[in-house]
Amino acid sequence: MSTPPPPPRVTPRLWRLTPIIALATVIALLTAGGLMARYVDRANARQEVDEVGVQARILASTVTAALAFNDRQAAQEYVNAIRANPQIEAAAIYDTGGKLFVSYKLAPDVTLPAAVQPGLPRFTDDRLIVAVPVTEGGASLGTVYLRSFTEPFALRLQRYGVIGLLMTMASVVVAVLGVMQLTQRRANEELARRAEQLAATNQALEAQIEQREMAEEALRQSQKMEAIGQLTGGVAHDFNNLLQVILGNLERLGRRLTVGGPARRGDSGGGDGGVGDQSRLIEAASRAAGRAATLTQRLLAFSRRQPLAPKSLDLNRLVAGLLDLLGRTLGETIHVETVLAGGLWRVFADENQLENALLNLAVNARDAMPGGGRLTIETQNVRLDEAYARAQEDLRPGDYILVAVNDTGIGMTKDVLARAFDPFFTTKDIGQGTGLGLSQVYGFVRQSGGHVRIDSAPGQGASIKLYLPRFFELDTLDTPAADPQPVPLGNRHETILVVEDEDDVRSFTRDTLRELGYEVREASNGHEALHALETNPGLRLLFTDIGLPGGLNGRQLADEARRRWPGLKVLLTTGYTRDAVVRHGRLEQGVELLVKPFTEADLARKIREVLDK
Amino acid sequence: MMLRRALLHLRYGPTCWVVVWLAVFAAEKSAWSDGSPLEYAVKATYLHKFAPFVEWPSPAAEFPDGNFTVCVVGSDPLGSLLDRAVNGQSVAGRPIVIRRMARVTGNPDCSVMYVTGSDAQSVTDALAAVRGMPVLTVTDGTTDPAAEGIINFVIADDRVRFDIDNTAATADGLTISSKLLSLAVHVNGGSR
Repeated sequence: MSTPPPPPRVTPRLWRLTPIIALATVIALLTAGGLMARYVDRANARQEVDEVGVQARILASTVTAALAFNDRQAAQEYVNAIRANPQIEAAAIYDTGGKLFVSYKLAPDVTLPAAVQPGLPRFTDDRLIVAVPVTEGGASLGTVYLRSFTEPFALRLQRYGVIGLLMTMASVVVAVLGVMQLTQRRANEELARRAEQLAATNQALEAQIEQREMAEEALRQSQKMEAIGQLTGGVAHDFNNLLQVILGNLERLGRRLTVGGPARRGDSGGGDGGVGDQSRLIEAASRAAGRAATLTQRLLAFSRRQPLAPKSLDLNRLVAGLLDLLGRTLGETIHVETVLAGGLWRVFADENQLENALLNLAVNARDAMPGGGRLTIETQNVRLDEAYARAQEDLRPGDYILVAVNDTGIGMTKDVLARAFDPFFTTKDIGQGTGLGLSQVYGFVRQSGGHVRIDSAPGQGASIKLYLPRFFELDTLDTPAADPQPVPLGNRHETILVVEDEDDVRSFTRDTLRELGYEVREASNGHEALHALETNPGLRLLFTDIGLPGGLNGRQLADEARRRWPGLKVLLTTGYTRDAVVRHGRLEQGVELLVKPFTEADLARKIREVLDK
Repeated sequence: MMLRRALLHLRYGPTCWVVVWLAVFAAEKSAWSDGSPLEYAVKATYLHKFAPFVEWPSPAAEFPDGNFTVCVVGSDPLGSLLDRAVNGQSVAGRPIVIRRMARVTGNPDCSVMYVTGSDAQSVTDALAAVRGMPVLTVTDGTTDPAAEGIINFVIADDRVRFDIDNTAATADGLTISSKLLSLAVHVNGGSR
């Protein structure tokens, strides 16, 4: 488990400098404020000097003649005009000798200098003093003296206070921003630290999950082994019983035949001890073998590897066809009803397997109703929507045909429901059930692209619902089941090539076909078969096992033969199919299949059917 | 008691003409009387002090021979007072010279001509002699209109003051500053 590197800190350099920048900004702002105040002060002073200077010069230029010709009265008038400006504290005119000529005072206690000469403006004690020369035509005539109040310091301070306040506020804003930035940076760092912690915790969690998954996998494996053990044990048990019956009967039959049968003492229990007794033994062995075949079929159905031969079916017709059989099988205490929907869609399924499944369910229902009850088989068109399909394992939404088998029996507990589809799980006593019934139903329906659902509760009966996908091909009609007919025969002109690696099976097949009247050639592997085909151009049918040794299996042999001799009929046989024949659970088009074990009659009918096609 | 108007350009009104009515006069006893030396000393000073308030038609008219020339025509009541008055003074950087003459004919080359009259030439004749010429004529205390120069000294309120004949000044090509006109006791043919 590798540790990923911690995520890089996402704090750009600039952000880290923010507090310093904020401080610098504050200092810059305050400095700028100070400089601005100073500048404004200077500008103000300059403006005052300008204004008072202008007034002094106006006075100087108007008073020239009066001063030159010593007209105090006129000069006084000019000077008094200054009164209009309350800012002027005192105004005076001095002659060329520097002596006071006329003066104006704002208040009586204002004093004036005794002598004044022109000079630069100057500020003294909140006063601005301006002294400008009086000249006319280049001749100097005297001096005008003006003393003006300047703006009091308090007033200026007040004005600069406003600027200062603004600057301070700006500084505060900047400082607050800086502090916020700092706080945010700290918060970010905290977040990053927590994210790292979280990542570490997550890793630990993932490790735990991984360990748990491993443990669960181990548990599953052991459960699987247990299930396989249960399965093989169950199969072995059942097969041993059946083999016991077959072997026992064959042994007795063999003894009868060698000893001479009827003379054997006490064996027939008072029977005729002849051919009837022998045939009874054969019948018992055959019955046991048939049950063994059924058992393997069920196993294959559960493993979903049974070769299906699906076709378009009308479920209503199928159910109706079953009613007679059901009535006989279930006994008089069970009342059978059907609720069949009109306009039922067709399904595409293996007819025999479907009948088998329904029979299984019916038998289960009967067993759930020991005191009798009602069995209802119901058909219906349904549409499974997206939401429902999503909740199920491997189910596509769409149109389905529902077949429900409902009973009024004892129902199932939750535990039973949960294990209902498990192979060899049964609620029946030992020897009463194989535990494969519902498994077969489940396997078959799933292999047919459908869905099974059980609704049941203790005491409430049970409803087993099979959903089979709707089939849209309407032109294929299912042919009514043919009545049992005499075994069809062949003739000498029909040559069949039997390919089978198992010698006994090949011999049996060869003998059977010859008895049926066919001409037979044999081969034990694919290459031999091809050679036989080449040397016997009259061959009508290739009957081959799928599992063949020698690098060419039955499937490949069939393909090759059909390619080279297009008119050649092909029939495959197998006891256990993998995807050599069955693709996606269906037989491919144009391939005929006979499933092992098969009876003589099965073989005869299938061979005839293929040949006559 | 006199009324006077002064026009001042003040900062509180962009171009506000303030009319000032002045009705103040404190009578002041003159320390001197007619014909006293102080009176003539003042008059002697005034002769060149008029210069900045008068505009001659040309520099040559103002400064004949390059000097500001004060001519005294007729009997000379000023005497050395005039010499002292101009001593060390200048007009627009030009020296001041004094010329005294008994009578005037033709172009006298004078900036200012103080005419007092004499047996040789009456005030009226002297004025007639320079009429039309750019000369600032000054007479002293006459009441005969024909004998009045452009500026005529008068004694008012015990002070040396003057009347101004602006018409004559204009006729002679001289322009007299309104500042000077505002100081005159009477202005004739007024630009006022």
